[in-house]
Amino acid sequence: MAKYTNYLMLLPGLILCVFFLIIPTAIILRISFADSVSTAEFEIHGLTIENYVKYFTAPQTLNILVNTFGTALLACLICFIVAYPFAYFLTFHVENEKLKAYVISLLMVPFLIDWNIRTIAWIPILGDQGIVNSALMSLGVIKNPLNLLFSRTGLHIIWLQTYILFMEFPIYLALARIDPELIQAARVLKAPPHRVFYDIIFKLSLPGVICGWIFVFVCTLGDFLTPGLWAGGLQTLGLSISTYFGKNVWPYACALSTIMIVIALVALYILLKIVDIKKLIYES
Amino acid sequence: MKLNVKHLPSKIYIAIVMVIIYLPIILLVLLSFNASANVTFPITGWTLDWYIAEPKPYEYGSYISVLYDQSFWKALTNSVYVSVAAGLLTCLIVTMTALTLRRRVPGRDVLFYMILLGFIVPGITLGLGNVLSHRLLGLHLSFWTPVMLDVIFAVPFGLVLMMARFEPKLMEYESAASSLKASPLNVFRHITLPLIIWEVISAGIFGFLLAWSEVIRTSFVIHGTGVVSTFILTELQINPVTTKWYAAGTILTAVSVVGLVIFAWILSRETARK
Repeated sequence: MAKYTNYLMLLPGLILCVFFLIIPTAIILRISFADSVSTAEFEIHGLTIENYVKYFTAPQTLNILVNTFGTALLACLICFIVAYPFAYFLTFHVENEKLKAYVISLLMVPFLIDWNIRTIAWIPILGDQGIVNSALMSLGVIKNPLNLLFSRTGLHIIWLQTYILFMEFPIYLALARIDPELIQAARVLKAPPHRVFYDIIFKLSLPGVICGWIFVFVCTLGDFLTPGLWAGGLQTLGLSISTYFGKNVWPYACALSTIMIVIALVALYILLKIVDIKKLIYES
Repeated sequence: MKLNVKHLPSKIYIAIVMVIIYLPIILLVLLSFNASANVTFPITGWTLDWYIAEPKPYEYGSYISVLYDQSFWKALTNSVYVSVAAGLLTCLIVTMTALTLRRRVPGRDVLFYMILLGFIVPGITLGLGNVLSHRLLGLHLSFWTPVMLDVIFAVPFGLVLMMARFEPKLMEYESAASSLKASPLNVFRHITLPLIIWEVISAGIFGFLLAWSEVIRTSFVIHGTGVVSTFILTELQINPVTTKWYAAGTILTAVSVVGLVIFAWILSRETARK
């Protein structure tokens, strides 16, 4: 009896996943191997690897993949450089537990406000007549306004603002778990500060760091709107998908989507190899 | 609160990062009261016109006030419905799944990985896939499609958040009650629910907030006026960015911030308890 109740309780989650996640992904996979899809009746014709061959032999592909990975990894690096000291200071240098909880929660605000609003809010700061350009011009550093708003600089600033929480959370959780007595023991045994940091704190926080890199990587990989608007002409995998989708070239759009899903699955696999998420949440 | 000057440079660093992250949002709110339609400094005069002014006959789109922009209100109403539905569903699914996944149910790992996929699979492919699956199965995009995509995205967060924060002795209390012959329903009502109620509420709030701002997934599966995020997205492709959108943004942000403050309050309350 209890066994059936258990399965009954899992049913809503299962139905949700199957209908809105697994079936759509399976259909993407199937169409990526199709010759053509008739737009009117939506019939799938043929079975071919032509779409993939076409993609990987296209001259611009290498460039697009380098762009996609390059910007995503750079975003991870920037988030990491800002978030690691932040998490470190928050864990070891702030004593008030309530304050910690508030700071961590407040990092979510930029992620949870509307994408459009978050974007246009940068105009008074990075725009041609924005604060940064006005300040630099009145100081005489530059004569003409810098193009900050619709550039890669702008893209990385807005990505940092949006996705820093995904780097911050896991690192903070990993740091908070470190047994203070370990650090104390190392100090008593006269370990120099840089060794205490590297050999104990950094190495023990490594799972959190990797978690953060993967979260930010996956988020920036799937975000096609921000680079589309901001990075003026920077072609990424996500943008190609939305372009071909817009032109109703389903098989090709699906082939690119499959490539993206595979990249995400590899990221998930690495994540599960390194961090035992189940241990974090299952009791038994 | 007394300011502790120990480790002051570290605290200054934290403050600077917070300021950089929040500066655009603060300026957005400030500039939404600017008389000029131009969204840069200086502020030429304080006004509520972008919120409530009656439109002049020749004004349209980016120049009429938020209050009189009927399509905006329609989209906002849709957003409220979608987000509330997504929040409630997230709440329900997360609670049911989290309570069961604690037990050794065969196949629980498979479901857990599937749920994690909802976060890992990039938004663009999820949006695209759902458009295709609806076409193929002959279904029409409806109110529930964006709701479901938001729930798929919110459930992994909610699940990890809830399961990591369960009261450690929850299962012991439950089995104590059932060995005293309490019925499963009574165990749930009198033992389980009171102990996890804050986690349940925070999962719901998180689902609401995520749906409130989500645009990448939603932009694929919307029909009609859409929700407010996709509405502004299409409006801004044809209309200029004026202070009116800052007023609209202030309203949207206010909802998110209120939701998050409640969320943060729950988290800090729980931290204090432990």
